[in-house]
Amino acid sequence: MASNKYKVLIIEDEANIRNFVKTVLGTNGYQVMEAQNNGEGKLLFLSHVPDIVILDLGLPDGDGIDFIRMVRRDSSIPIIVLSARTDEADKVEALDCGANDYVTKPFGTAELLARVRAALRIHHQNMDRGIEYCKKFSTGNLEINYELRKVTVDGSEIRLTPTEYNIVALLAAHAGRVMTYSEIIREIWMWNDPGSIKKLQVNMANIRKKFGARPGENQYILNELGVGYRMNTEM
Amino acid sequence: MKKKHTILQDVLFTVLMLTLFFAISVFIVELFGARSLIPAVFTLAVFLISHYTQGYLYGIVSSLVSMLAVNFVFTLPYLKFNFSVTENLVSAVIMLVITVMTSALNTKLKRQEKEKAESEKEKMRANLLRAVSHDLRTPLTTIYGSSSAVIENYEELSDEQIFQLAKGMQEDAQWLIRMVENLLSVTRIENGAVRLKKTPVVLDELIDSVLVRFRKRYPDQHVDLELPDEFICIPMDGVLITQVLVNILENAVQHARGMTKLMVRVTVSEEEAVFEILDDGCGIPRERIGKIFSGYYEEKDIPADNQKHSMGIGLSVCDSVIRAHGGEISAENLSTGGCCFRFTLKMEESCCGEQ
Repeated sequence: MASNKYKVLIIEDEANIRNFVKTVLGTNGYQVMEAQNNGEGKLLFLSHVPDIVILDLGLPDGDGIDFIRMVRRDSSIPIIVLSARTDEADKVEALDCGANDYVTKPFGTAELLARVRAALRIHHQNMDRGIEYCKKFSTGNLEINYELRKVTVDGSEIRLTPTEYNIVALLAAHAGRVMTYSEIIREIWMWNDPGSIKKLQVNMANIRKKFGARPGENQYILNELGVGYRMNTEM
Repeated sequence: MKKKHTILQDVLFTVLMLTLFFAISVFIVELFGARSLIPAVFTLAVFLISHYTQGYLYGIVSSLVSMLAVNFVFTLPYLKFNFSVTENLVSAVIMLVITVMTSALNTKLKRQEKEKAESEKEKMRANLLRAVSHDLRTPLTTIYGSSSAVIENYEELSDEQIFQLAKGMQEDAQWLIRMVENLLSVTRIENGAVRLKKTPVVLDELIDSVLVRFRKRYPDQHVDLELPDEFICIPMDGVLITQVLVNILENAVQHARGMTKLMVRVTVSEEEAVFEILDDGCGIPRERIGKIFSGYYEEKDIPADNQKHSMGIGLSVCDSVIRAHGGEISAENLSTGGCCFRFTLKMEESCCGEQ
């Protein structure tokens, strides 16, 4: 087996889901390891050091959140959570505990692959940052020049306030991954008071207006109701 | 008097009634000097008290108090207890019997009302369950049948045939997903309104998620929008209201024959936000319009495009979601053709504020 393949660890108790995820990832050039529960997952994680983990939240031997906490003690490798659509609160909790992204069950293979690609890309960008400072970001026709703090769409400049720019730049730095409201607020305003979400929502509304986005046609910044925002990378 | 009584209310009511009827008795004695009326007056008081209070306690206590009052104040010897007079004892017993019987009757009545409401709810749940299991069976047949076909005849099937079977499974699985989303919505509210989590949702973002979801299924159906320009936040459970809008839009695509335009219009006033979904299709048949939200679909209501019928469930989910939000939902045919679904949401949290 080629050693330059990304290693994916999937922790999921449902054999059929594991099977189809493994098939899809395998045919797309990933090397897959499987675990049925928390215990097995921890063992494989420590012994094989995967590049990315796909984790089901409802495992028979304990909450997936515990696994996230265990990994986050000394590793930043991306974790994608599989969650059943019960509550936004579950997703937000997992994300705030250090998960990088989530996919809601039932999900299609295209969605899963997109999340895996994005998570790996962001992770490697962050790792490389020490060596080569990232100067530019682009997705579709949107371009951000971090040095000049300049944003352009189709080549024409979008005039953003400093706060609006900071939000766009933050989402771009984590492009492809959902950022929860509280994560964004922490990064932009440092602290979280009851009015913060409203402040963020108003800023986002202005950003959308300046980007010329209409409901249903938000090309660049996707909104995940009740969870957060995501910079779109699949265009 | 179906309101819930608190203990304080009941005690207050009892004391007030007894004082009032005591005053009336004094008044009667002063005016007519007719002492023979007194036991009857107190009997009425005891009856009223046992009727309007919860349980037996208040009635029994007041009949004892009444007996003592009649004995002490209104019968010879005045302002002295005298338990040797049998009339007094007999009237006390009568009052007690009335108390116990009234209270028992009350309790029975309340229990019957509750049972009736329960059985109504039970009936609705059974209807829903029947409709759902019927509807689930169709896509499950496709999925089970197609997958068995592939597994059992793998060698003989061409790639094209396998592809077609898989495609059928995918379509029906997607239909199942939508059905389950709706059912989840129902359980989310039927577990009691406590679980309804209202948070301020930005109108633009709500409509955005609705259209993104709607387009996944109907990429070619254009939806016109008429939204206020200002920044607007409405308190709601965003997931459920998204479901409501998607259901109504999908319903239009499935049932409004000859539709060329589909539109979502939102207007906002101080008190409420009004959502309208308009189409210019064939409208709603007159015999269906009254029960369009209430009945889970019935066997004889065949949808226009003869597709799988998710309509009944979809719209009754809308109804329960909006009602749980304290809003109103209605549907009407337009004079210009087509129909309009309209629902309202309150702009302000009526109780307890935002969390």
